[in-house]
Amino acid sequence: MKAVAPVNDAPATTAWRPALAEAELWEGDMTPVVVGGTSVLLLNVDGEVRAYLNRCPHQEWALDEGEFEDGTLTCSRHLWEFDARSGGGINPADCALVSYRAKVEGGTIWVAVT
Amino acid sequence: MTMSRCVIVGGGPAAASAAGALRAAGFDGSVTIVSAEDVPPYERPPLSKDFLTGATGAGELQLHPRDWYTDLGVDLRLGTRVAAVDTAAHALVLTGGERIGYDSALIATGGTARRLPGVDHDRVRYLRDLADAGALAKRLATGEPVIVLGGGFIGCEVAASARKLGVDVTMLEMADHPLQRVVGDEVGRIVAGIHRDHGVKLRMGETVQSVHAGDDGVLVTTDRGRLEGATLVVAIGLVPSTGLVARGEVALDDVNGGIVVDGYCRTSAPEVYAAGDVASHEHPRYGRRIRVEHHDNAIRQAAVAARNMLGAQELYEDPHWFWSDQYEHSLQAIGRGDDCDRTVVRGSPADRRFSVFSLSGGRVRGVFALDRGADILAGKRLIRSAALVTPEQLADESVNLKRLAVDRSHR
Repeated sequence: MKAVAPVNDAPATTAWRPALAEAELWEGDMTPVVVGGTSVLLLNVDGEVRAYLNRCPHQEWALDEGEFEDGTLTCSRHLWEFDARSGGGINPADCALVSYRAKVEGGTIWVAVT
Repeated sequence: MTMSRCVIVGGGPAAASAAGALRAAGFDGSVTIVSAEDVPPYERPPLSKDFLTGATGAGELQLHPRDWYTDLGVDLRLGTRVAAVDTAAHALVLTGGERIGYDSALIATGGTARRLPGVDHDRVRYLRDLADAGALAKRLATGEPVIVLGGGFIGCEVAASARKLGVDVTMLEMADHPLQRVVGDEVGRIVAGIHRDHGVKLRMGETVQSVHAGDDGVLVTTDRGRLEGATLVVAIGLVPSTGLVARGEVALDDVNGGIVVDGYCRTSAPEVYAAGDVASHEHPRYGRRIRVEHHDNAIRQAAVAARNMLGAQELYEDPHWFWSDQYEHSLQAIGRGDDCDRTVVRGSPADRRFSVFSLSGGRVRGVFALDRGADILAGKRLIRSAALVTPEQLADESVNLKRLAVDRSHR
């Protein structure tokens, strides 16, 4: 049996960190940034910002070397495809990108990395 | 006709893909996978790469957990061999005599490694399934010298994995360069350089005359001399597993090998389809039969076949994409370079970072890329769009290739 965490356990601390100026990420574009030592891929999906770990879950290849088109992010190494909006796998379906919370405030994109 | 029973013969990625596609299309009848393997469908590509080096374990190769099949209501019959497909009676005949009736059947039996006749010894290994890979990994772990017979993708990947483990590797190949048959002379020479730089002894243009394997080693005699090693890996191609169909009932391809299927993945027998390595497919894009042994094709083709089993009438026209990882390098190809009238190089062959675009009538038909995955992604669009491009545009790295494909769609 796994130990059950006490219910009053403090949540993992996530801090909002500035990642990029909002104006630098155009709609339909992606760009790699480093936030708090973590390689993060920022995408502007139809005006909404998404932030993922910039590593393909398959073999940890950098995703910014791939392609972001029509709402689909494709890794250039083995052509794994992901839904840019949800981070969920399209092909193969049973995988997902590691996603971070992202928000736009005061003209800056902020990402919550642990 | 009422479709209530779909059977899939074979237990590779194509089988899993087909089962998933049947359910995704809303089929609520029975789905049975009959597989000779003892484990559920798994990924074969790592078998010659990270599995051999130990970086990936057998558990990580599973395409889907067992629950996936249970949840989808897919009856997974493992360790079960189909002796024959009784196409007249619409039934699979198992080796024990049991019959499984079907309304529609998919043959996705893949193939087996082509064997060297007359040599049967623990030191002589093949690579196709998990058991082969496990046995080969054990041989490599001894650290003793390995001879790789065959400079195709499996041979190259096994050589690379063995070198990663520090094992002494000699590669024997009849052609002048590894991968020559697929990538041609110039790229083959570069691939040879990569292997040489990683310490593989290449013996190209040699023809094997005899192989002797004994408890103290393997002796290979070629037209140019002798070669001794502790292990011989025979990587000389695949033989499609067509033994379950009778020649008179299901058309076979005598040239490419495999079972003939039309653009919709239908065999010549009613309600019998084939997909993956075993299928010689009348390719709408290329206007002739093509049989490829690619992971991606197995998955995509089987999904289309599955939908067609339910009456979708979907043409399968994927241009084919495959990859190979060797050492730190990524080799990828999309489309086909044969039947083309010119090639254009983009990038730097000297730096081993380049792509070769194959054109026919000014349209991109195929792209091979060494460490330039982005060119494959752009090439895929160019191939699909059939946009007219110039060699100058393709060679000019300041030109955004994807845009060339997009322009076409707006005209």
